[in-house]
Amino acid sequence: MSTPAIPTHADVIVVGGGSAGSTAAIFAAQGLAAAGGGRVLLLEKANIKRSGAIAIGMDGLNNAVIPGHATPEQYVREITMANDGIVDQRAVLAYAERSWPMIQQLDAWGVRFQKTPGGDYDVRQVHHNGRYVLPMPEGYDLKKILCRQIRRAGVQTVNRVMATRLLVEDSSGRRRIAGVIGLDVRSGAVSVIRARAVILACGASGRLGLPASGYLFGTYENPANAGDGYALAYHAGAELTGIECFQINPLIKDYNGPACAYVTGPLGGHTVNALGHRFIRSDYWSGQMMLEFYKELHSERGPVYLKLDHLAPETLTEIERVLHRTERPSRGRFHRGRGQSYATDQVEMHVSEIGLCSGHSASGVWVDEHARTTVDGLYAAGDMASVPHNYLLGALTYGRIAAEDAVARLTAEGPSGATPMSEAPPLSEASETAIAAERERVLAPLARSDGLPAHQLEYKIRRLVNDYLQPPKTANRYHAFLGHAERFRSELAEAGAADPHELMRVVEVGFILDCAEMAARASLHRTESRWGLYHYRLDYPERDDARWFVHVNVHLGTDGAMAISERPVAPYVVPVSDAELHSYSKIRLPAKVETAAPVPAESRSIAAATVAHP
Amino acid sequence: MPDLPDREPVKAAQALVVGNAQTRRRLDVPVVVDDSKCVTGCRICVESCPVDCLAIDAAAGKARMAHDDCWYCLACELDCPNDAITVKIPLLVR
Repeated sequence: MSTPAIPTHADVIVVGGGSAGSTAAIFAAQGLAAAGGGRVLLLEKANIKRSGAIAIGMDGLNNAVIPGHATPEQYVREITMANDGIVDQRAVLAYAERSWPMIQQLDAWGVRFQKTPGGDYDVRQVHHNGRYVLPMPEGYDLKKILCRQIRRAGVQTVNRVMATRLLVEDSSGRRRIAGVIGLDVRSGAVSVIRARAVILACGASGRLGLPASGYLFGTYENPANAGDGYALAYHAGAELTGIECFQINPLIKDYNGPACAYVTGPLGGHTVNALGHRFIRSDYWSGQMMLEFYKELHSERGPVYLKLDHLAPETLTEIERVLHRTERPSRGRFHRGRGQSYATDQVEMHVSEIGLCSGHSASGVWVDEHARTTVDGLYAAGDMASVPHNYLLGALTYGRIAAEDAVARLTAEGPSGATPMSEAPPLSEASETAIAAERERVLAPLARSDGLPAHQLEYKIRRLVNDYLQPPKTANRYHAFLGHAERFRSELAEAGAADPHELMRVVEVGFILDCAEMAARASLHRTESRWGLYHYRLDYPERDDARWFVHVNVHLGTDGAMAISERPVAPYVVPVSDAELHSYSKIRLPAKVETAAPVPAESRSIAAATVAHP
Repeated sequence: MPDLPDREPVKAAQALVVGNAQTRRRLDVPVVVDDSKCVTGCRICVESCPVDCLAIDAAAGKARMAHDDCWYCLACELDCPNDAITVKIPLLVR
C-alpha cells in the first residue's frame, strides 16, 4: 500500500477532521482561495469519512439559536446559568450569533433538518428555559456532506497521521506557532510539517476514566479522542481552563451511550428512579442535573431508568428510527441482546466515568471569541476548546470562526499571506533540538522488545483516575493520585510497541496522563464546590462566589512543571440576575410521599401517552 | 523443619531491575467477518474504522479485527459494500 507523501508545509494546518476540523478546513481553504491562494492541510488520526465525535452521525442539534425560536441573548443567559456563571460571555455570544448562519449553510449543503408542515424549523425544548433542540433525522449523512465540501474546497487531507507535539518558535519576544510533528500510525514515520497557523480540533478527552464495564474502548466519546488536543496545546504553552469542571454523563449502563434525553424527552420519555418516580425537572445535561442523578443512583431509590414504556407504539417506532440509525446505532442490538425493548422495559442508566469536554461541560483550551488560544497563531475549536456547552453546532460554528480569523491574520501579514508558503524559513536551533527529542520520544517504544504493553498501561492510569479523581473530590485522594501519577510516568517510560498502531496507543497514554494531571491540579486549586457533580468537593462542599468567581487555568510553567493561574470572569455582555444564576440548582423535584415497593416490570401499568406524535 | 532461607530482600531488589516478560492471550472480538463475502483486495472497512482496529490478514487476504479497540460504532459494517461484516456488542459490554 502506498501512502501519499506528507507535505512539508502549509499555510494552515487543521489537526483533526471531525465536526470542528471539517468546517475549519473548508472555510480556511475557501478564505485563502479568495485572498489569492494558500494551502490548507487537514491532518486526521483516523479517516475523515468516519472520524470525530459523531463518527456515524448525529440525530439533532442541541443548541440551535434560530430567529423566532430563541435569541442569542437568551441563549447566552441560559449557558451562563448552566455553567454557574463562570463563562466568557463574549465567546458564547459569538457562537450564538453565528450559529444561525451555520445552520443555513448546512441546509444549503444538503443537511436535512426536521421542519414543520409550514416549512419552519421544528425546534424542541430540552433546556430549562429556551427552545434550542433541532432534530436532524438524517444526521447519518452529515459526515459525508462535510467530506464532499472538504474535497470541493481543495483541502489537502492526510489520513492516519496523528499530531504528537506542536512546534512553537520565539519570534521577537512572542511565541508563535510554527508547525506540527506528526506520527503516521500505519507506517510509523515521524514528520514535521511547518505552518503559519494551526487550528486544533482534536475533540474531547474521552478516554480519561475507565468505563465500569472495564472495556477500555467502551467510552461515551469516540475513543479516538484521547485528549490529544488538550495535551498538544498544553505542551505548546497554551492555557487551558475549567479543567476541574469534568464531563460526566447520564448514560445507558454498560453500553455507555446516550439514553437519549434530547431525542426521547420531547416525545415524552423521562428519567425515573426505581420507584418509577421522576426526580428531576429537566434532563438537560448540567452539573446540577448530574448531582441529583448521582444522589438518586446511590440512594435507596436507585437505580435510575429511562422510562419509555408508557409511550404509544408509533412513538417508540419513531424513537427507534432515530436512535438506532444515527448517533451510536448499535444501541438497538445492545438492548436486543439482553432481550429488552423500549415497549416493555425501562432502560437502566448510570453515571459515566469522567472525561474532559467543553461540548457538554466547560473544560478546554482557553479561546476567545475568535477561537484564538494564548499562543500566537494557534487556534482551537470544538469539544477541546473552552466555549462551554457547545455541542455539535458549536464545533461547526467555531471551526468556521477559527478559520476566518486565521485567514484574516495571514492575509494581513502581507504578500506571503496571499501566496502559498512555498519555502518555510529555517527553524531555530531550539526547534531542531526539540524535533530530534520528540522523534526519539515517540519512536523509543518500538525499540523496547520487552517494553510494557500500551493497553495495560492505559488500563492502569484510567483505573487510577476512577479510584482517585471520580467525584466527589477530596484533597487527600487527589494528592494520592498525583503520587501514583508520578510513579506511573516512570512506567510509561518503559512502554514497548510491536507496531505503529501500538505506538499510537503509547502516545495516547501520555495524553491521558497529561489530562489526568491537569484534572487533578485544577480541581485541587479550586477549594469550593461548583457545577454540581462536576466539581463536588467533600472537603469544600459550598459554592463560594466571593473567592471563586474566577476561571482556573492550567499551563506549562517555565520550570517544566504544571502551573495554575486565575483569570477574572469578563464583565457580562448579557446581564444575568443573581436569582437566575442559581436557577439550575432548583432542578430536583420534591419527593413523592409514598413508600411503595418497586413495581415489578411485568405489572407496570401503561400510562396514557401525553405527547403528540410527530 | 529448618527455617527457609529469607530470599525476600534479594528478590525485592532484583524485581526492580529484572526487566519485563510477556505472554500472549486469546481475546473475543466484536467484529465478525464472513470470508465468503469479504472481497479480497478491498480495504473499505479498514479505512473506515475510527480507531484503526481492523487490518487485512496477510494469509487469508480478508479483513480481521487486529486490535481489541472496537467502539462498536458500526462504521465498518455500514460501509462494507458486500455486507460481509457483523459487529457484535463487545463481550464485556453486552
